[in-house]
Formats: sequence, C-alpha cells, structure tokens
Amino acid sequence: MMPLPRFALARPGSLEEAARLLSDAGAEGRVLAGGTDLLVNLKHGLAAPRLLVSIDRLPELRGVSVDDAGALVVGAAERLADIAAQVLVRARAPAIAGAAGLAAHPQARNMGTLGGNVCLDVRCRYVNRTPLWRGSLGGCLKAEGDVCHVVPGGKNCMAALSGDTVAPLVALDAKAHLVSASAERWVSIEALRGKDGRTPVALQPGELVRAVRIPAAPPNRRSAYLKWAVRHAVDFPLVAVALVVDAGADGAIESLRVVASVLGPKPRVVAGLDRFRGERITPQLASAVAEQVTRQCVPLPNVLYDPQHRRRRLGVMVRRQLDAWVG
Amino acid sequence: MSEGSDAQPISLTVNGEPVTVLATPSETLLEVLRYRLGLTGSKQGCDKGDCGACTVLVDGRPVLGCLTLATLCDGAEVRTVEGLSTAAGLHRVQAAFVRHGAAQCGFCTPGMLMSAVRFLETREQARAPTREEVAAALSGNLCRCTGYAKILDAVIDAAAELGTRSVPGSNDAEGAR
Amino acid sequence: MSGSPSVLGGRHGRIDGAEQVTGAARFADDLSLPRMLHARIVRSPHAHARLVRIDSSKALSLPGVHAVITGRDLPTPYGIIPWTTDEHVFAVERARYVGDAVAAVAAIDEATAARAVAAIEVEYEVLPALLDPEEAARRTDVQIHASKRPGNLTKQVDLAFGDVDAAFAEAPLLLENDYAFHGTTHAAIEPHCALAQVDGDGLLTVWSATQVPHYLHRALASVLGLPARRIRVIQPPVGGGFGGKSEPFDLELASALLALRTGRPVKILYTREEVFLAHRGRHPTRIHARTAFDRDGHLVAHDADLLLDGGAYASFGLVTTYYAGQLTSLPYRLPAYRYRSRRVYTNKPACGPKRGHGAVQPRFAMEVQLDRAAVHLGIDPIELRRKNFIGENTRTVNELRVGSLGLLACLDAVERASGWKERRGRLPRGRGLGVAASAYISGTNYPIYPNEMPQSAVQLCADRSGRVRVFAGTSDIGQGSSTMLATIVAAELGVELADIRVVAADTDLTPVDLGAYSSRITLMAGHAAMDAAREVASMVRRAVAKKWEASPKDVSLAGGLAIDICDPSRTMPLADAFVLAESAFGTLGAVGSYNTPKEGIHGDYRGGTIGATPAFSATAHVAEVTVDEETGDVVVEKIWCAHDCGKALSPLLVEGQIEGSCYMGFGEALMEHHETDAAGRLVAPDLLDYRIPTSLDTPFIASTIVEAPDENGPYGAKEAGEGPLHSSIPAIANAVFDAVGVRIDELPITPEKVLAALDKQREEQHRR
Ligand SMILES: Cc1cc2nc3c(=O)[nH]c(=O)nc-3n(C[C@H](O)[C@H](O)[C@H](O)COP(=O)(O)OP(=O)(O)OC[C@H]3O[C@@H](n4cnc5c(N)ncnc54)[C@H](O)[C@@H]3O)c2cc1C
Ligand code: SF4
Ligand code: FES
Ligand code: FES
Repeated sequence: MMPLPRFALARPGSLEEAARLLSDAGAEGRVLAGGTDLLVNLKHGLAAPRLLVSIDRLPELRGVSVDDAGALVVGAAERLADIAAQVLVRARAPAIAGAAGLAAHPQARNMGTLGGNVCLDVRCRYVNRTPLWRGSLGGCLKAEGDVCHVVPGGKNCMAALSGDTVAPLVALDAKAHLVSASAERWVSIEALRGKDGRTPVALQPGELVRAVRIPAAPPNRRSAYLKWAVRHAVDFPLVAVALVVDAGADGAIESLRVVASVLGPKPRVVAGLDRFRGERITPQLASAVAEQVTRQCVPLPNVLYDPQHRRRRLGVMVRRQLDAWVG
Repeated sequence: MSEGSDAQPISLTVNGEPVTVLATPSETLLEVLRYRLGLTGSKQGCDKGDCGACTVLVDGRPVLGCLTLATLCDGAEVRTVEGLSTAAGLHRVQAAFVRHGAAQCGFCTPGMLMSAVRFLETREQARAPTREEVAAALSGNLCRCTGYAKILDAVIDAAAELGTRSVPGSNDAEGAR
Repeated sequence: MSGSPSVLGGRHGRIDGAEQVTGAARFADDLSLPRMLHARIVRSPHAHARLVRIDSSKALSLPGVHAVITGRDLPTPYGIIPWTTDEHVFAVERARYVGDAVAAVAAIDEATAARAVAAIEVEYEVLPALLDPEEAARRTDVQIHASKRPGNLTKQVDLAFGDVDAAFAEAPLLLENDYAFHGTTHAAIEPHCALAQVDGDGLLTVWSATQVPHYLHRALASVLGLPARRIRVIQPPVGGGFGGKSEPFDLELASALLALRTGRPVKILYTREEVFLAHRGRHPTRIHARTAFDRDGHLVAHDADLLLDGGAYASFGLVTTYYAGQLTSLPYRLPAYRYRSRRVYTNKPACGPKRGHGAVQPRFAMEVQLDRAAVHLGIDPIELRRKNFIGENTRTVNELRVGSLGLLACLDAVERASGWKERRGRLPRGRGLGVAASAYISGTNYPIYPNEMPQSAVQLCADRSGRVRVFAGTSDIGQGSSTMLATIVAAELGVELADIRVVAADTDLTPVDLGAYSSRITLMAGHAAMDAAREVASMVRRAVAKKWEASPKDVSLAGGLAIDICDPSRTMPLADAFVLAESAFGTLGAVGSYNTPKEGIHGDYRGGTIGATPAFSATAHVAEVTVDEETGDVVVEKIWCAHDCGKALSPLLVEGQIEGSCYMGFGEALMEHHETDAAGRLVAPDLLDYRIPTSLDTPFIASTIVEAPDENGPYGAKEAGEGPLHSSIPAIANAVFDAVGVRIDELPITPEKVLAALDKQREEQHRR
C-alpha cells in the first residue's frame, strides 16, 4: 500500500468559490480533477499540497458545445471516456476523440479529465518512482536534487510531455480558457506547456483551466493522432504525433501541421512544413515530411525506451499516415 | 486510517444500501471499502492505477478505488463485487466465470468482474460482442494467471442471448489422443 | 469399481469458484484482527554497503509507533536450501542490494509506519558493487558473501556424459552460438502479505501468502528460536505465485517477531515495489551452446556453458544451477552431453525459481539450435524433432528415468492445428511459423531437506451426513490443487464435488505437504488422496455389500449413490451407505501419503538426483508471428500449444494452466524485463514500466490436451502448470526467423533488436 500524505480537501460548488480557494491557498493549493495523475504523484511524495480543490462539482467546467464561430468547446472536467465517445467531438475533432480513447485504460479514462490531461505533469523514469528509489538515486532537479540524469549538466528538467491530447490540441490550434479569482484569459495549449519540466504548465497560482476551445475545421481537413507504446492499453505514450492537413478542393495542401510529443516537456511543432503548401499528398511527400519530422524531433532518454528507436518510429508513423492519405 | 482527527462522516450507497462511514481526506475509496467497511472483495495490487484489481463502479462506471478519494464519493452509488450476487444466485457473469474456469487465483477476478458488468450493461444488446471488444473493455484489468483466454470466453458467453451457448472464437480446447 | 467418469476428466470448474467470484475468498490482506498493528520495512538505498549505525530513536518517539527491530534482533541466518542459508531477515553487517531489508517498524497504521520508516536514520559505508555477472565471476577483491573460496561463485557444476569431444570431432554439422536470456519476474497480482499473532497460550500463528507453508514453518522455528510445535502457519488463498512466493521472506519473519515483541497482531503488506525487490525471478543467463548433428539431423552431441546471474542471495540457486543443465537432456535423444553451469552472486535482487525453474533458459538455446539445424539441413523443424525424440520408458544420457512422454502426439497436434504442413513456407515475407518442444518434471524425487517422510499426505473423513472432508497441506495458489484433491475423492467415493470440503495448508489442521513448487502436487498429493479415498470407499463398499448380501466388488459408488453392478436398479444414497460403514467400522476415515520411488530412477553421480522425477510431461508449441519490417514490431498472431499431462483430471483447469503458461512465455519473449541500472536500482519497479501483457496484447492461445498416462501418476496424471511455458519462447523466436530471416538470440525480442538485425541483413544482401 502507498498511503497518501495528509491534506485538506475542498469541494466547491461554483467556479468562483473554487478560484477563491485556490488563490487563497496560493502555492499550497492544487486542483484535483480525476486524480489519476496527481494522486499517484502524491503517493510517490512528489508534492505535498496543503489543500486539494476538487473540481468535480463545478458546472462551469462541464459540457461539450459548439460556439457561434463554430468552434468546439469542451469543459475541462469532461472525462476522457466521454470525450472519446462524444458525437460532437468525434465529428469535429476526431483526433482529440481518438487521443482521449487511447490514453491509459478504461478505468483511468472514466476518471481522468481533459483538463488534467492538458495539465498533466511531465514524466520521467527517474522521478515517477517511490521515495526509496529516488533516495537511492539522490534526487534530481525536479525532486529533491540539483542534477538531471536525462541531460547531464542540464539546467532544465527535460521530462516527457505525456498527455495524449496535448499534441493534437496544439496541432488543431486549440486554446485553453484560464480563470482565476481576479481574471480570465485565453492561452494556446502550446503556450500553456512549459519548457522546463519543473513548471510543466504555465498557470499562475490560483488559476485553473475552465475549458478548451478547438477552432472550427475547414472543409477537407484530415487529422490523426498516432501513439506508440509497448502495450495496447495502460501505457503512457513513448512517442506520439498529431498530423493535421487542410487541403483545397483540388487536394492541394493549404496547411500541414505536425506536432510531436514525448520528446521533452513541450510539444514540438515541426517547423518549415510551409514548403509543402500547394503540393498534393504523394508517397514522395510523405517521405519528405517524415524525414523533416525525424530531423527535428529528438526524443530524450527520459522515458523507458531507447530514444533512437522512438525517433525512427516517429518517422515511420508520420510517413505511413500520410501514405494512407495519398490521393 | 486511525488518524481520527480529520476524519469526517460521508454517506454513500454501497451495493444498494445507504452507508455512513468516517473517512479522512487522504483515504481512498479502496481503503474505506476494505478496511473500514470490511468489503475486502475489491483488491489492491499496486495502489497506483496500474493493475485494475481495485476496480469498482461509482455511479455506474468502473473506476480505480485506489485513486479515488473516498470523501468525493459522498452521495455516490458504489457497487463492488460483493453486490453482484443476490439471494437468487450468482450474477450471469459470475456464473459464466465459474463455468469457464475464468478465475485461477481469483485475485484479479473482482475487478475484472466489475469491468465486465459495466461492459455487459452498456453494450449494444442486438449482437454478440467480438473478442476484441471484450478485450478492450477489460484492458485495464491485469491478470497474471489465465492469459485472459477463459475470461474472454466467460464474458462472451454471459453476453450471449439466453439459450444460445455457441461461443464465437471460443478458446475451449479439444482433447486429443 | 472405482471412478465416476463424469468427475475425472469432466469439465468442472474450481470447487471454490463461487467464493472467488463473490469476493468471499479471504486473501492475506483481507484478514484483520483486533488491535492489529501495521509494519513496514526500511530498505537499503545502496547496492552494497556496510551498516555503520541505525538510529531508530526518532521513529520510536513518533506517536503510534510501537516497535522497531533490526538485524541484531534476528541473528540466525536462513535460506530455502539447507546448505546455503545466506540470508538474514535484516542485514546484519552489510546490505547487498538496493532494497535489502535493514529494519522494520510496527505502528498503529500504514501511514504512521511509513512516516516512521522515513524517520529511521541509517548510516552506510558504501562498498563497491558488482552488477555484471562476468565481472562478479572474475573478481575476488569484492566479495558479496564471505566464503571459503575467494570470489562470488555460488555454485558450479561440471558434468559430462558420453564421449563429447569425439562426437564433435566427427560431426558433419556443428552449430556454435551465444544466447542471452534476460531476467523476468513473476508479478503475481497479489503482493506478498503476512499477518502474525501470538495468542494467550503463546502460540504463534502466521498467515502468509506463501506457496510453501511447511518451509515457512521450519524457518520461523529456526530463526525465532521457537519449537515448531509452538507455531502454526496458515496459508489463505494466494493471489498467484509462479515461484515468487516459494521461500520464506523477510516480511513473514519480521511480522512474527514484531507480534512476539508487541503482543499485538502485526501485518506486513509489501508495496508493489517491494514485490519487485523480493523478486526470486528468472535468472538472467548467458549460454554458449555447441551442438553437433549428423547429416540426417540427429543430435550427436551438445555442449553448453551457462552463466547464471544469481543476485544477492542463494535462494534456490543450488538447484537452479543444476536444472540449467540437467533437464536439457530430453525430450530428445542426446548421445553425448556436457555442461558447465555457474551461478554467481551480484548486488541485485536475488533470483530464484520462476515457472519452469532453471530449464526455460537452456530450452530457449536448445530449441533455437534445433531450428538452425533444420534450416541448415533442409529438414522440416517438426520432422527434425520427431527424428530426435528420445522415446518412452527409457533413460536420458544423464541417466534420468523417463516413463511416458507424449511428445510425438503433441507435435502432431500442433502441426495439425496450426495448418503447418499447408502453410509453412508459403506465407508471405513478414509472416512466419515457428515450432519448439520441451519436457518437464512432475515434482522432484528428493525433498529440499533430506528426510524419509512422505512428501505429500492426505487425511480423509466422511460421515453420516454424506459430506466428506479432505485435509491436506497442499497450497492452492490458483493452480487448483484443492479442486484436484476433491476431484479424485469425488471420483473414488462417488460423492458430488459440492459435498466435499477441502481443508488445506494449515499446519495445525493438515498433514505436511512440501508445497506448491516443481509441479509436484497433482502427482504426489493426488496419489495420497487416491489412496485414502480408495480405503474409505472399500469400507463403504464392504458395508453396503454386507447389507445387500453381495460381493463388495459388485458395489459401485457413483453419482451420489451406492449401486449394485449386477442389478443397477438396486441403489442406496451415499449418506445411507456411510451410515452403514460408520456403523460397521466406527468413524470413517483414512490417511494416504506419497513418497517418490527411489530405485533406479537417476544416476549416482553427484547431482544425479537433480532432475529426477516420478514422471515427465511433454509440450509442443507452434507460434505464428507477423513482423513489421519498418518498426520491428513482432505481433504474435496465435499460439498453439499441446501438452501431455498424462491424464487431465480437470480439463478446464489444465487448459487454464496451458493458457497461462503460454501467456507468461509470450510476455517474457517480447516485452518483460526485470532489469537493473548501473547502480543496481530496478529500472522498472512497478506494473506500469514492467510491462506484463494486457488482454489487448495477448495472442489467441489454442490449447490441446494430450494424454500419455504415466504409471507413476495418479490415474496417469503428470504436471501441467510449468511445462507449457518452456517452448513458447523459442517457438516465437523461431517464428520470427521464419518470417524475416533474422535470429534474435538475446531476449527479449524487442523492436529495436529486430530492426538492428534487419538492417544488418539488408546490408549483407546489399554487399552481395
Ligand atoms: C496506469 C495509468 C496510465 C496512464 N496512461 C496515460 C496515457 O496513456 N496517456 C495519458 O495522457 N495519460 C495517462 N495517464 C494519466 C491520466 O490518467 C490522464 O492523463 C488523465 O487525463 C489525467 O486527468 P485527471 O483528471 O485524472 O488529472 P489529475 O490527476 O486530477 O490532475 C493532473 C494535473 O492537472 C492539474 N489539473 C487538473 N485539472 C485542472 C484544471 N481544470 N485546471 C488546472 N489544473 C488542473 C492538477 O492539479 C494536476 O497537477 C495514466 C494514468 C494511469 C494511472
Ligand atoms: S528530466 Fe532530469 S530533472 Fe527532469 S525528472 Fe528527469 S532526471 Fe529529473
Ligand atoms: S490497486 Fe488500483 S490499480 Fe492497482
Ligand atoms: S486469476 Fe490470478 S491474476 Fe487473474
């Protein structure tokens, strides 16, 4: 058994109250959504918040809808299982539904939320361990120490972004609606994720994610989320990538976005894909894109699988998906 | 659990019966069920979400008892393996497990059953489920004994319309020699 | 006469099935006692360190903390093999792996105990650690255990049979290859758990999730210095063992001492990480294999050099070191055979017996060697195995007696079921079929500690209610041993399974059984049950015969009735028959026991008794795989397994053992790895990173039961719990070769290894 540390638990009934509780608690408070990540980290002694603020009774964080601009708005407290099954999501953002359905296992998807997935802490083979194990290692930048075992000499924590929905949300240009006791703002999912694993999410103290907004898809959009893990359930991704292609009526590419994850803490938006604009998807293009992705994306030895292999596989995944879209 | 100071009473329905029990904020539903309510049917295999042995239904959905705070179940309806059978006998899926030899050590069984019950209660009734569908529904429940073969057989059998006992893709072996 | 055919060999489930599916079965951690304390264990963060000082004062001053114990409190060493007792409950002078136990704290609850563990200060002097087995074998300056000989060898076996060198000198085909089998662990879903209590009379009771209550009983007596008669060991239902619970562990001895010290019940439940640390899993093994064949594909000689990485303690290692060589001599005829098997200590979690103990690693090497020979010689690999079959009622080159061995029927069955003849060689590149076969023991001839007493025993009682009680020391760990006993008794007495109560594994209530290891229970306890039941049946028949004025041999007991064979319309309910018998003979009961035949079943060289068994099972596997040449993914599409268990007393349970074994082998072949890093820490100490297959990963397993009855088995029955694992792994490896023409000789077969091999293959083809 791994007992949880002691903490106080609040279960506010409104967003306003939740925001106030969080701002009062400051750095000592944490949002608790499904708990499938946070509670494991607490059991591992990776944090010791004084207060957990549960968001399970906040109507403001629920629901899936389409706004006036045709964008899909998903409440942060919506569960992954529901998102995977939701007709609106499946129709308007199939890559998100797909990603939600690939995360973890059925029980965790029944518990885990979109907000928790987007704000998921980074993961590392050296830190998601028991205190006995980390004590044996002597800790690291992210917990109890001052070195990094993934990038020796590194100054930042380079643990892996592991939430399955993040890459497709970034590829679809999604934004998060952040709310605090005093303010609200919209931030792109890309900007929300920090480049140092010690601050994996760029939230101000007291801020929480209310909803995620995915802009309306143009016609002729194709999108996919591809995840690789050793097992077909339970496992976090070892490398993952989202692809979004918007094409004109003639099939010519108008925009191509590729976002990889599980490299370091941040999603990697593959740069320089503009040069494929105007082309049609052909096997040659598929290979060229895959090569560009592989060149730019370098997995680190932060999760338990050979980084070279993860890199090579990423290229194959991208090429095969584009191949499937040829024509 | 005996850290009495911050324990508060919570009220929930467990297997159809209203229950009021003390729980601290840090206590999981699994701890409360097992150690406070004596419902030891739900098991602990990892205590961190990896194995599914602690699976129970909260408001109808299979969740992990080891990662659910008991306090947040205040007002919820909880079903555990102890609530599956009635005076009239075993639940259909329990009976199928026994018939097929789907439990060996039986440790994963309670959690497995809860995932299976949810699957059977929510699936499309019109057609027999495929092996893959059942495997997907049970993919968060690790079993180290059976290779899942007889578990899948049992759930498919339980899903089959009463009277039809042909099991598509059955793993039942044939004897030789 | 004897037997109700519908029970023996009938498709019944387990007798405790209803208890299991209702959650009523009470496993160790499901037990709790009034005033119970919870204890946790302090473990070393260093792979090798001298203990300088332990200060538990802070921990003891925490409210709710009741006691702390350390190595000083338990100075007596123990170990499952009486000649290698190299363990202490807590490190006395040195910690020998990351996770070695150093102290334990008992407190009012788990959370308090966990805080107290953190408050215990231990000062270590870090010592150089040996993590690589080759290095450990070489170095004498670092000594993990004090021993007479310098170095870290725990055991070395050198044995040769037949003229090996001559055979090699003349053989037309010689294959020489290196194989590496990685470490894997049992990963039973139930973590180890023990609960100890001392009652008012001073009797110590320990409930434990163990496979070996008897050996635990002995270890408790010797380590605690108590007479065995003052100790009771109870094994509740166990949530899977696979060899991982087959020796005494720190938690059992520690909870007992803490209960003695505090006067309160004390429970220790391992965390999942501790389960990985306790380990005793499959030894990582490096094998250098030389195998010679004649032109027709007959084996002429085999020479193996094996190095076993034993981890920090001996465990069963003495036996493992022998098994690594002894059991390669069948199921094929091997005219000349030599092996050198060495086991070394390293500063890592101790290795021990995992399903298929010791023989799984060399089996992998041998079966891949055979596959290579088949390719070289252009012989169908199933045919090659048939040609080499050792036969039945024979002896191996190392003088093990072989009785029945249904290997040919197993090969026929998987050949037929897999469509081998029609499909092999005709599949597109990327898809392949592989075969492998094996044989395994049904129990060992000699117990772990030398003695002349029975290895298994049963006490049976029946009474006027019609109900029957079976008392046996056997450990049901999911394999169904209690159901097996009930099945036999039901068959002999004609009672329903539901009318039998099996009371098992309680040293106060049941006769001694050595435990659930080496696939011994069906053969041994099955015999004991059969004998006891036959004796009671005979009393019942005689009593009924007297009443009917018939001959006892004409009275049959079946289907809940006594039946007159000469006039089947004349019947009597069994309860009435028991009344007659109880009236005639007094309280109805009998005992049965079993000891192994000792004459002429092994050679009399040193070590010749190891591998000796009353009966060998046989197995064949065919695996079908798809290999993705771009990602290196190997998908096992299907596994066909045929297993000769002599006689399937409960076919449903035998199939379950076959399926579970195939599953476990599949996981070992492709994804599981119990690995340590450069400092001796486990790389994957949880069920997230130690990847055991889920329901979505596991291939379809088609099992076939083959029955080649053995005269030593009850009704001919042999083992089924371990044999069907062995050849599953090489069958997969051989299928990968068939699919894409590369050999992965270093397990597990991971995508990156497959890709590296394919890259090399492409390069070579390019060069040509
Ligand atoms: C065995 C196992 C396997 C898993 N595998 C995967 C996997 O394959 N892929 C994957 O993506 N995830 C996986 N997970 C992790 C997890 O289940 C999901 O990522 C889930 O979506 C997390 O959501 P949650 O609601 O449970 O988050 P929580 O654990 O409640 O929270 C996670 C973090 O987000 C913060 N947070 C949550 N909601 C908000 C909000 N609205 N505003 C601000 N901050 C917030 C919390 O404070 C916390 O820091 C796995 C978990 C387990 C136990
Ligand atoms: S990336 Fe480095 S700093 Fe971050 S968790 Fe891993 S080891 Fe620690
Ligand atoms: S005990 Fe909850 S998932 Fe393992
Ligand atoms: S039956 Fe033992 S773990 Fe599933």
